[in-house]
Amino acid sequence: MDKKNIDEQIAEYVLKYKENHYRLAYSYVKNADDALDIVQESVYKAICSKDTLKDPSYLKTWFYRILVNTSIDFIRKNRKTEVMDEEILTNIDSGTADNYENFDLKKALNNLPDNYRAVVVLRYFEDLKFEEIAEVLNENVNTVKTRLYKSLKTLRIEMEDYEEV
Amino acid sequence: MNNNLEHLKKEYMETPIPEELDFMVRKSLMEGMKTMKKNARGRKIGVIAATAAAVIVVFTAGINISPAFASTMSKIPVIGNVVKVLTFKEYVYNDGNHNADIKVPSIEGLENKDLQNSLNEKYLTENKKLYEEFEAGMEEMKKNGDGHLGVDSGYEIKTDTDKILSVGRYVVNTVGSSSTTMKYDTIDKENEILITLPSLFKDASYIDVISENIKEQMLEQKKEDDNKTYWVEGIENEGITERFEKISAEQNFYITSEGKLVISFDKYEVAPGYMGIAEFEIPTDVISDILVSSEYIK
Repeated sequence: MDKKNIDEQIAEYVLKYKENHYRLAYSYVKNADDALDIVQESVYKAICSKDTLKDPSYLKTWFYRILVNTSIDFIRKNRKTEVMDEEILTNIDSGTADNYENFDLKKALNNLPDNYRAVVVLRYFEDLKFEEIAEVLNENVNTVKTRLYKSLKTLRIEMEDYEEV
Repeated sequence: MNNNLEHLKKEYMETPIPEELDFMVRKSLMEGMKTMKKNARGRKIGVIAATAAAVIVVFTAGINISPAFASTMSKIPVIGNVVKVLTFKEYVYNDGNHNADIKVPSIEGLENKDLQNSLNEKYLTENKKLYEEFEAGMEEMKKNGDGHLGVDSGYEIKTDTDKILSVGRYVVNTVGSSSTTMKYDTIDKENEILITLPSLFKDASYIDVISENIKEQMLEQKKEDDNKTYWVEGIENEGITERFEKISAEQNFYITSEGKLVISFDKYEVAPGYMGIAEFEIPTDVISDILVSSEYIK
C-alpha cells in the first residue's frame, strides 16, 4: 500500500510542480536544455530512490534536495566557468553601469555562488521555510540564515552601488 | 529591498517554460518505473526459483503496484490522444525443465476508462490464470516423475493506425509438442469502443458468408501448394473426422492497417500442427453487402 502511494505521490508531485523545479534548475545552469536535463534526471532519480523517502510528508524537501544535488553535479561535470568562493563573493562587482535596473539585480543574483543564490531562491521565490532549506541543502538552519543575510547584504550593497552611480 | 526582491521574484517566475517539459517529466517517470520494475524482477527471480509459491506473491504485488501508477499517469491529460499498448508486467520462471515467460499487455491512454479497465483486467486475469495453471502443471509433473513444461505468453500489435488498434495475445503451451492460441482485441481509437465481429455486420449472415469464403481459400491454397492442408471438405485427411464447417460468431479476427478483415484460427483448430496459426484475409467485396458501414473495413 505504502509503495503504491509513494509512486503515485511522486508522480503527482513532480507533474504538478514541474515548472517550479524547472525554474530552480534553470537558476543553476541558466539554459533551457540543461535545465530540462536536470529536471528529467531528478525525476528519474526520485522514482528509483523512492525507498530513501522515509516519510511522504518530506516529499517536497526530499525532491528539492535531489534537484539541487543533481544541478550541482551537473555544473561540476560541465564546468565552463569557475565557481566563485566566499572571498570572491565579497568582491563581486556588478560591472559597468547599466541602465536596466532589473537586469543588474538579476545579474547580481546570478553572480552569487550557487549555495548562496539557492538560499534566496528557495526562501523568497519558492517560499520554503528555513528548516526546509536547511534540509534541502544539507546544512544547519543557522548556516542557512547566515547565508541568506550575506546574500541579501551583497545584493543590497550592489544595488546601493548602482544607485550611487 | 523588498521591492527589489519582488522584481527579482517576478523575473524569476517569468523564466520561460519549454513546451516539452511536461512530456519530459512524464517520460522520466515512465523510465524510472520501468527501471524499478526491471530491478524488482531481477531481484525476485532468485527467490522464485527457490520456492514456486513465492511467484504468486510477486504476481499479486506487481498487480497492486502498477495499476496505481498507471492510473496516476492517466489522470493527467497527455498532449494529444496517445492510445498505446505497454508491457504491464512480465513474469519469468525457468528451472531448466519448466519455464514460463508471461508478458501482460496493458492498454493506456483511452478516455473511455470502463473499456480500458475491462480490457486490462481481462489481460491480467487471463495471465494470472495461465500462471496458476502452469504452476499446478509443474507440481503435478514433479509428483509423477518429471518432464518438460513451458508456457510463453505475450502480445503483438497487429495494427496501430489513427483509427484502429488491434492487439493479439498469444499463448504457447509446450508439453512435448506445443500448442498456440491467439486472441485479438480490436479497438476503435477515435470512438473508443471495442469492435466485435458481430458488430461489424448487419445480421448473422456473415458467419456463412465468411465461412464459405474461407473454405474456398483453403482449397485454393491446397491447389497452389500441395504441402498446405486444412481439415475441410474437399481435402483428404486420413483419420480426421472433425472438419471445418463454419466460424463461430465470435471468431478471432483483426483488422489490418489497410482496412481488411482477417479471420484467425488457432493451431490445430482447422489444420495440422505444422500449419501453425491459420489466418485468412477476407476480400472486402465478399462481405461489403452485409457490412454495417465501410468505416473500419474497406
